[in-house]
Amino acid sequence: MGGGGNIGEASDNPVEINVTAMVDVIFCLCIFFMCSFHFKQLEGKIDTWLPKDRGVFQGQPEKVILEEIRVFMKWDAANNRTIRKVGNRGEVESDEALMNVVIQMTNDYKKAGKSEFPVLIDATPDVPWQEVIHIMDMCKKEKLERIEFAAPFEMMNKGASKN
Amino acid sequence: MSKKGAGTSEYTNPNLIPMIDIMFLLLLFFMLGADMGQRELEEVVLPKANSMKEDKENKEKDKNRLTINVYHRYEVKCQAYAKGGVCRDDAHWRTGIKGKDYSEPEKLGGYLKKEADATRGLDPKNPQVSELKVMIRADASAPYGLAQRAMNTCAKAGIYKVEVGASRPMDQTKKHG
Repeated sequence: MGGGGNIGEASDNPVEINVTAMVDVIFCLCIFFMCSFHFKQLEGKIDTWLPKDRGVFQGQPEKVILEEIRVFMKWDAANNRTIRKVGNRGEVESDEALMNVVIQMTNDYKKAGKSEFPVLIDATPDVPWQEVIHIMDMCKKEKLERIEFAAPFEMMNKGASKN
Repeated sequence: MSKKGAGTSEYTNPNLIPMIDIMFLLLLFFMLGADMGQRELEEVVLPKANSMKEDKENKEKDKNRLTINVYHRYEVKCQAYAKGGVCRDDAHWRTGIKGKDYSEPEKLGGYLKKEADATRGLDPKNPQVSELKVMIRADASAPYGLAQRAMNTCAKAGIYKVEVGASRPMDQTKKHG
């Protein structure tokens, strides 16, 4: 380490210190911290602003002129898959088919001069979260930024019974 | 410790000092790197999404953000979940904030309301609205109902800034480095 001789050599020290115990403790501490060390995973986010002025909507729906873009999702436990429908159409088999229908509907809104058209995701509670995120992901890719979620069935019933 | 005899036998004593130095350095590294605070982020297998925005760490921004984790209970051994399948046993899932269990909707609602009250009324046009942001980090195979419940509870508490956690697919991660 420098100087004339090696620092720490036994011959330098008239009083020897037993470092074995310290080494043991440091080893233990090292193992503890190594085991508890946590590497950060790359994560991100998808913004989903809820309606600012409404909270949980409990009133009567507005008169709908254009068909609302509502993606229904239902979990088919027997076949381990999610059944997806757009509006009152039949089941869509692929992502492309689903997005084609959604884009077609958004074009109708654009033709009618409407710039704001939310995509409503209406899924049953047992649908895997990944499937919901997948729909959101596809909508974001198509620049459909306004994504809303339908309130749970029991909550909608409560709202209706109050009115 | 070392005894040098008169040529009969010789004990060599390894010099422990460099080893201790390195071990101290390692110890320091792990101690400083260890996260001993309350863990905000539970270990969750996040859903994959290509269009997710990278969530850069910003301590100022994170002050006004709460993370709700929805994950499969670690202590429960579930065959369906272990095989990468879909577990639909409600008792197996936990909704947690900063390591505490908020699976009961009333408890979650109470906590969110309390947190939201601190940032409520900053916008004079919408005094009932809170500026608090909530990030929902739900497991990819978690039932949508749990995330939906968390969102509804946020709406009831006047929180409208909701983000959902997602991770980038592996091939995308490689492309982006």
